[in-house]
Amino acid sequence: MAGLNDDAQWIILMGFVVSTIIFILALIVSQSALVGQTTSESVLEFSKGDIQDLRSEIIFLKELKQRGLLNDDTLLIYDLQNISMGRMTAVVEVDNWTDEDSRTDFIYIHFNDGITSYNETYEEYY
Amino acid sequence: MVNDSGQLYTIEGISAGLLMIVTAYLVVSSTTVLTPQDVHITDVQLEQLGNDALAMMDTRDSYEDERSPLQEYILNDDTTTFTQAFLLYCNSSTSVTDMDNLRFKSTINYYNRITKEQANYTYHMPAGYDYYRENAVIVNRWVYLENKPPGAPPDMDSGPQIVLLEVLLWRV
Repeated sequence: MAGLNDDAQWIILMGFVVSTIIFILALIVSQSALVGQTTSESVLEFSKGDIQDLRSEIIFLKELKQRGLLNDDTLLIYDLQNISMGRMTAVVEVDNWTDEDSRTDFIYIHFNDGITSYNETYEEYY
Repeated sequence: MVNDSGQLYTIEGISAGLLMIVTAYLVVSSTTVLTPQDVHITDVQLEQLGNDALAMMDTRDSYEDERSPLQEYILNDDTTTFTQAFLLYCNSSTSVTDMDNLRFKSTINYYNRITKEQANYTYHMPAGYDYYRENAVIVNRWVYLENKPPGAPPDMDSGPQIVLLEVLLWRV
């Protein structure tokens, strides 16, 4: 091992530095993947479609009653509540009342599937 | 005479090579975490697509119409037209000729008011079993029926009722 010189030490040092940087970058990349996964999971869990559908159906029932095509929606709301409970594990409450003075119909809509709770008081003037 | 002055370069070369292999392995193994993320994003898109298609079919063409197309299909047990329409809406792409390849199975959930239990019947079942590489999603739509469809099970109520159309959607 005669004539060993240490001129190339900085090459080894740079090798270590570069590999450490690449390692840290890889860690950041893997973190971003996790963030994307949890984001799309929470989008999936949020029952946007169910709530929009429930709203539109209940307002459609009100329209049917206004057009005289339906007299009483009590049994229909029971259907809705029971099927929601069974198929979506969601609690649904619907209530109607009318304020004569302000000539307003109110519909109270409640939806809770354990992850999202939604409450709305829909108003319509007549 | 063998000269050993290159030993240090050999050691450095080997260690640098090892470092590169280990780094490449770490990078590749951390990017494979991307796969479940991708799957969930496609699920979200598929669910949105199915929900939109059902919402579109459950919208009346004009205010004067008695029923939406979806209500008509279910009331008349018209599975064929429903299947064609739904697949057309879901499989449409920006290309005229190339269609996406989605399959679905749909069931109708109803509430039996006498036994106070919910039941369901199959509305559309694809012919044969398909291989699907991605997850299937379920989309729902509430449908108001004025009376019982002719092909419905006998224990279904005959009057006005609300049923839940459930569609299991997957890409083949």
